[in-house]
Amino acid sequence: MLYEPGETIRHVYFPGASLVSLLTLADGHPALEVGLIGREGMVGIPLVLGHNVSSVRALVQGTGTAMRMTSAHFRKEFGLSLPLQQVLYRYTHTLMAQISQTAACNRFHVVETRLARWLLMTHDRVKSDQFRMTHEFLGHMLGVRRVGVTKAAQALQKRKLISYSRGDITVLDRRGLEAAACECYEVVKDMHDGAQAGHAMRKMRLSAAA
Amino acid sequence: MLAPHTPKQNHLPAALPAADYERLLPHLELVPLPLGWAVYEAGGAQGYLYFPTTSIVSLLSIMEDGSSAEIAVVGNEGVVGIALFMGGETTPSRAVVQSAGYGYRLRASVLKTEFGQGGDLQHLLLRYTQALITQIAQTAVCNRYHSVEQHLCRWLLLSLDRLPSNELTMTQELIANMLGVRRQGVTEAAGKLQADGLIHYSRGKITVLDRSKLEARVCDCYAVVKREYDRLFSRKPAIVARFRDRDRAQSSPPAVCWASDDAIEPGACRASCAPSIN
Repeated sequence: MLYEPGETIRHVYFPGASLVSLLTLADGHPALEVGLIGREGMVGIPLVLGHNVSSVRALVQGTGTAMRMTSAHFRKEFGLSLPLQQVLYRYTHTLMAQISQTAACNRFHVVETRLARWLLMTHDRVKSDQFRMTHEFLGHMLGVRRVGVTKAAQALQKRKLISYSRGDITVLDRRGLEAAACECYEVVKDMHDGAQAGHAMRKMRLSAAA
Repeated sequence: MLAPHTPKQNHLPAALPAADYERLLPHLELVPLPLGWAVYEAGGAQGYLYFPTTSIVSLLSIMEDGSSAEIAVVGNEGVVGIALFMGGETTPSRAVVQSAGYGYRLRASVLKTEFGQGGDLQHLLLRYTQALITQIAQTAVCNRYHSVEQHLCRWLLLSLDRLPSNELTMTQELIANMLGVRRQGVTEAAGKLQADGLIHYSRGKITVLDRSKLEARVCDCYAVVKREYDRLFSRKPAIVARFRDRDRAQSSPPAVCWASDDAIEPGACRASCAPSIN
């Protein structure tokens, strides 16, 4: 767990092979994933916006490395570097598009297409056909109970798009998965590609770590 | 409307220090925002940043099949067109006036210059962006878990907070578009609220009769967003600037709290916890 809602942010994180989920808490329901951050982005956006408290839970999903910086150090660097500001404002904007699309997606799309979408987003970020995702975690992503996750995962497995066993997911047919996902996947991906945040971010990360 | 228009009807210009406000004033142009007018289209270029004063603008996500769902509401507390200063050229959402009124607009080039100077306007706009992110994230949750009736209550309260009266001009069809539900669903939910004496609905006019009952029935999402907004804007920008200067003066990196209401017990930070999901 990196952040809890209402807590002061002590570090910002730049995920490498790891993935971080942003979850919004809802009373009486499981926490719901509203954003996914991997190597294309940064965890700790409130600091970019001049605020040092998180409004969401940030949870590491799967193991992997990330670089981190203390908030104070980050704010100092951020204040000094105009290119860093521009890259991170732009990234924040694409993250907002991701959250917006999720809001609409939750309204209109069925569990199976949403699962396909989250699997593709994960696949893009981990750069491996195999990754781990527990039932519990998929439940957060989709805002459904275990049995709903099982049904959706089985449906995708039956179509030979993925294989799923005890939290180990293998993407068998990426193109098929893209066809099975809702349009929301493409919309957000286009935003990210357009922003070219990932490329600039990697460059920036090197200088930030130095 | 008898009261004269002023940009200070929007909370953001109103929060600017006098000098900044005076510099901006000649560039703020009063414009009517008629019902249903698209402030910007998905993917379209945005020439101006809008500060609604007496109007409300809805940010909508549009699906391929043409259906839409509201992701946020903007009124006199915020701005429409954040892509302009966040550096994204376009947005996949659409902004439509949901309650007619007025607003002020600021040309993109002027905005960019002002924003680039890193003063109080920049701080206010970024803080507002944080509040907007919270609102959008909460909408994602609300859409997933809550009933049409709760959506409607939330939407009515969000609208009321941004209007000077307790009356909304609105058709059921428009509400259905905003909420991303069928018209039938809105009719049922509105009928229930009316039967219970919370609202009166007649010919495209909704009058809220009992706000406290509406607040009792709404889902938590309404309060979450309001709290975040209050927290973000409870401090004056001048204070933010003071802390920023203090940060600049400091070179040692202990975690800095900006103000006491952000403070937590040191033990509550779990940043170093190992990720344990399985």
